[in-house]
Amino acid sequence: MNSQATASRSAWLWGAAFLLGMFGTGFAARWFDLPPVPSMLVMFPPLLLAVPFMRATERAQAASGALSPATRRYNRRGMVWTFSYVLLLAVAVIGAKSLQAQGPLLWVLAVLPALPILYLVWTMARYLIEEQDEYLRMKVVNASLMATGLLLALATVWGFLETFGLVPHVPGWAALPVWAIGLGLGTAINRWRDR
Amino acid sequence: MRNRLKVLRAERGWSQQDLAERLEVSRQSVNAIETGRYDPSLPLAFRIADLFGMAIEEIFQRGE
Repeated sequence: MNSQATASRSAWLWGAAFLLGMFGTGFAARWFDLPPVPSMLVMFPPLLLAVPFMRATERAQAASGALSPATRRYNRRGMVWTFSYVLLLAVAVIGAKSLQAQGPLLWVLAVLPALPILYLVWTMARYLIEEQDEYLRMKVVNASLMATGLLLALATVWGFLETFGLVPHVPGWAALPVWAIGLGLGTAINRWRDR
Repeated sequence: MRNRLKVLRAERGWSQQDLAERLEVSRQSVNAIETGRYDPSLPLAFRIADLFGMAIEEIFQRGE
């Protein structure tokens, strides 16, 4: 039980360090009005914290008896999309600016950062297909339904507020981060219910 | 549903981890079933029954 608490705390701390690092450098880059390339350079070191964060999460999952082979594969795939997303976003932003891209080239560049996110959606589907443990799968299904409900509710309310000119426009790619936050909340609610 | 999983497991001197490995599920699943937080599917209930050499209704009973 004690090692479980330690593993869980370690995962939280690495997660907090990762988020603080990413948001901290992100806001700093905005604050000092850094151009895209230096912004990405300062945000790269904290991005590397994703690796110890994933490892700590895996240790916590193992300590709480919830690390299945499918979860392990999902975690590995998480590293693939995280790093390829950052890489392709950089290519798209820098490429579009330096090449002054237009027409078909701009279309190609603009769609690049979406590809790792499509891969992420695929990894979620693969997880649900590959997970042999029905209880673990049910918990993820529960959490993802809560995430979907939250996203639908927020998008609908925001959309109408936007239609009536009350709030600014939010780009469509915001759907995934909102859904991911919902998944995190859903997982936390599951855990709280399990107590 | 009520179940006698914890007693049956203890009679054999198995930990939750031992039972989880025998059933090829996670320890969290065993814990959730034992404490009544999760009712297993029929296929899993049959696997549990087969492991203990009993009928499902000898392990799982109606009730809260």
